[in-house]
Amino acid sequence: MTSVNQPLPKHALDDEYPTKTSALQRETEDILQAHVAQGAPTLDRSAHLQFLIRNLVQGFPARYISQDASQPWLMYWTLQSFSVLQVAVDPVNKQRAIDTIMAWQHPDGGFAGGSGQAAHLLPTYASICSLAIVGRPGPGGGWDQIDREKLYKLFMSLKQPDGSFIVSEHGEVDVRGIYCLLVSAYLVDILTPELIEDTAAFIASCQTYEGGFASASHPYYAAQEDKNTPLQCISSPRPNLGEAHGGYTYCALAAWVLLKPFLPEEGAPSIDVKRLLRWAVNMQGSETEVGGFRGRTNKLIDGCYSWWGGGEFALLEALGVSGHREHAPLRPQHEAGPTEEWVGSDDSVFNRDAMQRFILLTAQHPAGGLRDKPPKHPDAYHTLYCLAGLSVAQHRVTQSPARRSELRSAWTPKPEIKYDMVRKTAFTEALCWSEEEGSSIIIGPASNRVNASHPLFNLTMTHSEGIMAHFYKQTLPKRFVRAPPKVA
Amino acid sequence: MPVQSEDYVPFAQRPEWADVVPVPQYDGVQPLAPIFYTPEYKDATDYFRGIVKTGEMSERVLVLTEEVIRMNPAHYSAWQYRYRTLLAINASLKDELEFTKGLAIAHLKTYQVWHHRRLLLAATNDPADELRFLESVLNVDVKNYHTWSYRQWVLAHFDREEMWAGEVDYVDRLLEEDLRNNSAWHHRFFITFQRAGKDTREDVVKRELVFAKQKIALAPNNMSAWNYLRGVLDYSHTPYASQEDFVRPYTGTQVPLSFDSDVIDVENPLPSEGSRLPAVPAIEFLADIYEVEGKEGVDEAIPLWKSLAEEHDTIRKKYWEYRIHEAVTAA
Ligand SMILES: [Zn+2]
Repeated sequence: MTSVNQPLPKHALDDEYPTKTSALQRETEDILQAHVAQGAPTLDRSAHLQFLIRNLVQGFPARYISQDASQPWLMYWTLQSFSVLQVAVDPVNKQRAIDTIMAWQHPDGGFAGGSGQAAHLLPTYASICSLAIVGRPGPGGGWDQIDREKLYKLFMSLKQPDGSFIVSEHGEVDVRGIYCLLVSAYLVDILTPELIEDTAAFIASCQTYEGGFASASHPYYAAQEDKNTPLQCISSPRPNLGEAHGGYTYCALAAWVLLKPFLPEEGAPSIDVKRLLRWAVNMQGSETEVGGFRGRTNKLIDGCYSWWGGGEFALLEALGVSGHREHAPLRPQHEAGPTEEWVGSDDSVFNRDAMQRFILLTAQHPAGGLRDKPPKHPDAYHTLYCLAGLSVAQHRVTQSPARRSELRSAWTPKPEIKYDMVRKTAFTEALCWSEEEGSSIIIGPASNRVNASHPLFNLTMTHSEGIMAHFYKQTLPKRFVRAPPKVA
Repeated sequence: MPVQSEDYVPFAQRPEWADVVPVPQYDGVQPLAPIFYTPEYKDATDYFRGIVKTGEMSERVLVLTEEVIRMNPAHYSAWQYRYRTLLAINASLKDELEFTKGLAIAHLKTYQVWHHRRLLLAATNDPADELRFLESVLNVDVKNYHTWSYRQWVLAHFDREEMWAGEVDYVDRLLEEDLRNNSAWHHRFFITFQRAGKDTREDVVKRELVFAKQKIALAPNNMSAWNYLRGVLDYSHTPYASQEDFVRPYTGTQVPLSFDSDVIDVENPLPSEGSRLPAVPAIEFLADIYEVEGKEGVDEAIPLWKSLAEEHDTIRKKYWEYRIHEAVTAA
């Protein structure tokens, strides 16, 4: 624990200048602290599993009609929650899941929010990720029934001259859609230079003065010489539409990491990583808020930002932000008994302990499922993003140079495919994320341990590898646990 | 979930819909994780799928999509099909704008309502009343993300002098009400520094710096105002060191006494009574000033970062240690 010279304040500081924002903040802090005083930091696995099974098998109550156009999300949130909890779905329900998901595939490509609805980037991500969890190759397995050619055509049809994408025909532009498109393209191997042309510049233009990212930016175009010349987006200004926001920042940052291997060496757009990091760490609430994450400056903390906010730090590591490793002082040998516990070193720049405590003590609903914060009810969305947040706080998953070179040397080229080098880069960059031995931190009993998550996809490492190995037609080299070099 | 009125007639019982074949959602699939639909919702969406299947675009499609949207305003396909129908039958987009007004207020947090309005407004090209309407929506929820980003789109897209003109006063009012409203701070940055074709003049930069500092003086622990101050400095490439005289009193432990109350230094307002000092953002700011001054500066910044890590901002201990490590490595 940190040494504290004076007792910590009970409330965030309002400088005796109360406003609506600070009053709401105070109320929330009181509720949170009352909760912390009651509970123990134990993950109530069986209650959450019951909540998930009920949703999956019995279904969702009528108030979920508001999410009728997000059925793939309900499926994905539920399935991925099982995965984080290290539980697999039985074969019968797996098949039912595959058949349900495939009913959402649109005849013209992509997936829709429900059967008979229009194709849309968000449900496309949720459907493909769900298939990564329950699908398999071969007839009826889902993977080979994804129409990749039509999917690619759909993606290209949604592309805008400023490098962004609308989420559906006549739909809006925002960075969530772009994140969903890029993950989908990575997973099923349809990434091309044409698809992502100018997209990085669009993402960069969404960074705000605070450091986080907005939902979108507004493009201006140069006057056209005639109708046949393509629209030229002027590089600046591209004003932000909306303030820096945790959900959009996660999506923009993940998109940036996915696009980064394909940036040109010269004249590439850039983002301000230092300012982004400063904003990102400031989204973590202080002790008065039990260390949960908020989504915007001066807004309340909310359990779902455990993933959107906490998940940003693994991505920042891919941009070179790695915390300072504190070497535990060496002890004289006679003091170290056989029961001495290994003190895991923590290289993260956010407070992993506090965030776990926040999730365990306040975000769990006593009747199962996880939530925004007390006294709210649990729902499918918050259940996944709280559990995924617990996962990123427990496990430190980073891009491993050793794994990258293993994957590179094991790559089987397919020179007949036009962009084989692009495929190779996408495959190796996506799958070189690894958890470092001994770097996990589990608050509470050992049974609190959940699965590690892929920081870009929010799937387990195994599911990410499975679906990508299939679509890229690659055999994955075994993951070796690196033993210390032998002494001759 | 909206409750249907008792005299609601399902489409299956409306004679004028007798020619349409409703299409059930799942054919031969027993879906996993299904939603328990109300009979009215199931009925309306079955008919919606029936219409999509035949591709019909007519007046009655507007009736149908309205019912679907009222029951589920996030049904993006219903919105999309409605928009295409409006264009196809040459419907009055002005009437449609009126229609979405009520829906926008009732369903503030729905993407589709706002986007539909955006399509209509771009097509009608008549934004004269839009900002006033948005003000009434923001009165209901003053930090609504969709409303704010939509307001910013309206300003950027139409780019009319008379529309920009009232914005500073509006933001002034909002920040007067609640100086912690970060959406209003962001909007201030947007209208001041992100307008196309407008180079921001030096006196505007100065005005904004003074504005931010006055607000910091009222509540020194308000991160929104500090972020804005930093934003203006970064935007105008002004060194942080220019603010050292302002920041220093906020890093002390006590509110300084103003020796000569007749002289008020507007550029360097002092923390108000009641301020909780030292203010974390001020210590951070001072350390940032030192950090760029080379090795000796870093030596002065380190104790400040340590005080944040150990005492004033312990939740971010790891971050402050990271800053020390980075600065030492670079120096
Ligand atoms: Zn939430």
